[in-house]
Amino acid sequence: MDNACESPTDKGGETGESNETPAAPLGSGTTSTDGIPEETDGDGDGDLKETPVEEGELKSQDISDLTAIEREDSSLLTPAAKKLKIDTKEKKEKKQKVDEDEIQKMQILVSSFSEEQLNRYEMYRRSAFPKAAIKRLIQSITGTSVSQNVVIAMSGISKVFVGEVVEEALDVCEKWGETPPLQPKHMREAVRRLKSKGQIPNSKHKKIIFF
Amino acid sequence: MADEEEDPTFEEENEEIGGGVEGGQGKRKRLFSKELRCMMYGFGDDQNPYTESVDILEDLVIEFITEMTHKAMSIGRQGRVQVEDIVFLIRKDPRKFARVKDLLTMNEELKRARKAFDEANYGS
Repeated sequence: MDNACESPTDKGGETGESNETPAAPLGSGTTSTDGIPEETDGDGDGDLKETPVEEGELKSQDISDLTAIEREDSSLLTPAAKKLKIDTKEKKEKKQKVDEDEIQKMQILVSSFSEEQLNRYEMYRRSAFPKAAIKRLIQSITGTSVSQNVVIAMSGISKVFVGEVVEEALDVCEKWGETPPLQPKHMREAVRRLKSKGQIPNSKHKKIIFF
Repeated sequence: MADEEEDPTFEEENEEIGGGVEGGQGKRKRLFSKELRCMMYGFGDDQNPYTESVDILEDLVIEFITEMTHKAMSIGRQGRVQVEDIVFLIRKDPRKFARVKDLLTMNEELKRARKAFDEANYGS
């Protein structure tokens, strides 16, 4: 259950870009994912520690520039370039800090889950579409072969799509005062709502703009 | 309640043969039944979701993938589906966009890690 010490949920879309943590669906199927998260855990941390050192080395030439900036001696860099450099450096440090904070928070959260919650969380992380079936499906539509990255991207997006529909259906179910398991009427109402939000692609309906 | 217990099993037999009675797709075999059940549980549904709901979701997913594939084929390089096209199509949806970026970044890291691991083994 070492997945417990890993990434924040994908539902927090705002922090999506700052995630550097492994995702279970990447592992092929559910049997071999135990090795991979541990591998990346070490590497992920290693990366986090390495990049500041690399940045330090790369910027050794610019250290004199930076010290010049500290001395308010602005003759070496244009003001815009200076500001950009400091901004990006601060942003990167902030992002890493936010990552570590989030990872810690997730660890605390997951460690306080009940057994049923742990089960559900494990299913949430580990469930994935089989890559072979997705690849077959896409290839049957295109007629040509597709690269592995496309299959990875498509499975990931489909899982998020399923999540959106199920969450909306659960909202509908609760609003109508009923309990799970979800019934087809909830699913259909959820799809209708998502369609009006534009979350469900539909290229069959011809949009008439002016009339 | 007895009806609900009978119907799912009845429909499951139908699915194995190839196509539920009300399966929108008709004769196509169910591709994602097992995985979708786990996914629905993970996203908040009951531990045993209804088979009809799973069917509806599977149809939705297949339609979603089909639409995305067709759109991706029509932009960028015609007739081919490339990752950049998918990322472009998804750009307006923040969740999916972030997810795709994460997955691809993670894949790159894993590939690098595996390569470094293999080289270490080969060296020693």
